[in-house]
Amino acid sequence: MSLVTLRDVDFSYDERPVLRGISFELADGEFVGIVGPNGSGKSTLIDLIDGLLRPDTGEILVNGVATRSYRRRDMAKQVALVPQHFDLDFELAVREVVQMGSYCRGKDAADCGDTALTLSRLGIAELESRPFTELSGGEKQLVVLAQALMQRAKLLLLDEPASALDVSHQLRLFDLLRQLNGEGLTVLCILHDLNLALHYFDKLLVLSEGKVAAFGPPDEVLRPEILEAVYGVRAYLHRHAGRTYLTFSPRLRGERRGRVHLVCGGGTGAGLMRELVDAGYEVSAGVLNALDTDEETGRELGLQMAVEAPFSPLGDEAHAENLALMSAAELVIITAVPVSHGNARNIVAAREVLASGIPVWADEGVLASDFSGATAGLADAGVRFFPGTAALLEAVHARVERTPAAVRD
Amino acid sequence: MTRLAHTRAWPGIALAASILGVCFVLSLALGPASLSLDQIWHSVTTGPVSGDLSNAIFWEIRLPRVLLAFLVGAELAVAGVILQDLFLNPLTDPYVTGVSSGAALGATIGIVLHLANLPWMAVLALIGGLATLGIVWISARRRGRIDIFVLLLAGVTIAYLASAVVTVLMIRANEDMYAIVYWLMGSFSGRGWSEVEIALFAMPFMIVPLVFATEMDILLQGEKRALELGVEVERTKRALLITAGVLTAIAVSVSGIIGFVGLVVPHIVRLLVGPGHRSLVPVSLLVGAAMMGIADLLSRTVISPNEIPVGVVTTFVGAPLFVYLLRRGSKR
Repeated sequence: MSLVTLRDVDFSYDERPVLRGISFELADGEFVGIVGPNGSGKSTLIDLIDGLLRPDTGEILVNGVATRSYRRRDMAKQVALVPQHFDLDFELAVREVVQMGSYCRGKDAADCGDTALTLSRLGIAELESRPFTELSGGEKQLVVLAQALMQRAKLLLLDEPASALDVSHQLRLFDLLRQLNGEGLTVLCILHDLNLALHYFDKLLVLSEGKVAAFGPPDEVLRPEILEAVYGVRAYLHRHAGRTYLTFSPRLRGERRGRVHLVCGGGTGAGLMRELVDAGYEVSAGVLNALDTDEETGRELGLQMAVEAPFSPLGDEAHAENLALMSAAELVIITAVPVSHGNARNIVAAREVLASGIPVWADEGVLASDFSGATAGLADAGVRFFPGTAALLEAVHARVERTPAAVRD
Repeated sequence: MTRLAHTRAWPGIALAASILGVCFVLSLALGPASLSLDQIWHSVTTGPVSGDLSNAIFWEIRLPRVLLAFLVGAELAVAGVILQDLFLNPLTDPYVTGVSSGAALGATIGIVLHLANLPWMAVLALIGGLATLGIVWISARRRGRIDIFVLLLAGVTIAYLASAVVTVLMIRANEDMYAIVYWLMGSFSGRGWSEVEIALFAMPFMIVPLVFATEMDILLQGEKRALELGVEVERTKRALLITAGVLTAIAVSVSGIIGFVGLVVPHIVRLLVGPGHRSLVPVSLLVGAAMMGIADLLSRTVISPNEIPVGVVTTFVGAPLFVYLLRRGSKR
């Protein structure tokens, strides 16, 4: 039987709808994270599960019983909550604060958790006699977690428990939660750090504007297209040392612009790729050798690319593919890529599309690093040269502003 | 696993109780006509007899007056603890609920109608106080919950309203003005056993915060956190607010409006024994009684045979002590 069941739950504060049509189940022993933008209803959702709020419609079952029919003490035995904000203006000792967590267990000593044990579990045994008011923000957070653990509930809800913690304490906290989960505690945790979400959780629930945008294993749920739809930012997945990481464009998603093809390689195009993607261009590249830096960056950014096998001169198939990509672009850019016999055909391809009317711009640097002679006479053929990547980028943006109709699709 | 509050509560309670014991003996002995310890002991052992002056002073004047002061002090201090911790506001005193002003209105009506025969005035004051509590209560109720801040605002508003009515009555009945003003200032002068009987009704209510000590500790973290930890917050609040209201109404009805005890005693005791209610409530109760006893002793001895209103004395005693303890507390 599932520990928590939500069926078609709607909730609004006064007239403002916060959650709409929420349905999901949490099985006993699961380790689930909740992510979503600010104001997407995450905290409201856990308050609903704890029975602090009542749904307008739909039902919420904890252990098969509707939350509305729980008495508070019985609910506290089932569900413990670590709130996002917690403070106390009174000089109670840490031990006294933690002890309050066992309130729901009544006076039966055998039923109560042990304060000292719980604190040492969290690595804060030495705080036991200190006044709560004198603790740092991170220590307070851990004391509140200790308080919640004293309830010895089956389900632990956490509302951004890591927000006040430094990076080492964050990792310690999530390791500890994992460990508790291994001992049978079901965990449902709101967090903002998507990389922590990706690494620690079995399942993620993505909330967006009060609805479940996705629910499932992290690598299925934290896909760039979902994140773009939910957060409105560009996200990139990287693999590094056997792990997947998410990074985000420092800029909000721009409006959709035209298509640009890059002739690059050896890392000369990576920066441009990222800038153009961030600015909203659809970017293609080629021909690149697999495992080339630019090829890897392009793959992370999800670009369409013509790719040749590693360390091989480019063959007919890749060349044809590249020509097709170039022909579909509105602008072809040649970076300061070193040109040798292996990739000289890319310059040939650029000449070809230039002849068919697609403008070709190039970084002056390409002339200096040409070891094949393929770039000879490019200027005469109508290629515009720019003194570096920054100038190229500026010209691309200026071009859009000048002739929007020509570039936008 | 013993709770820290348990282990720490008894020494504080014992100390406060012994202080109260000393106050008790001093208050019985000293006054415009002082009694020796022998005379007190004799009066206690023989019981009330007629024709013996010191016996009459002891049984008819001194003992009821001292008991009344103790009871009122205890009631105000306990009400103060409850309200400060429910409102999570250290500036709260038992009079913010408007109950005292309602009681004052009741007493004023009693004086104007010349029902000055006690205990009628006390009964009218009690009715006024409880009626005010009811009105404030109803105003603060939203969908079955008591909104503590609405309650505070409603209390203050109704206090002003009642005071305005009292003022009108005072102006209308100018020959009674002195009696009204004197009542409002608060005093134990001329009070007897009938007031003590009324004040004794508060005894069961003083147990309530002891029963809810753990819940009150948890409520220091705010209502939401208390709910999360399994406290039936509304039920607890209801019991405690009614308790504080009734304690205040009873105290005011027999003594008038005596300031500072309900505000200062919980603070002093919190600085001494900490905020845990297992200690805070009983020690405040005892210290409140002792402080009021001493204040009344001073009020009737300092410029004897005249009296200083006891409310003036509580302020004179309480204010410097409070400032001293606050400064000491902040240096820690």
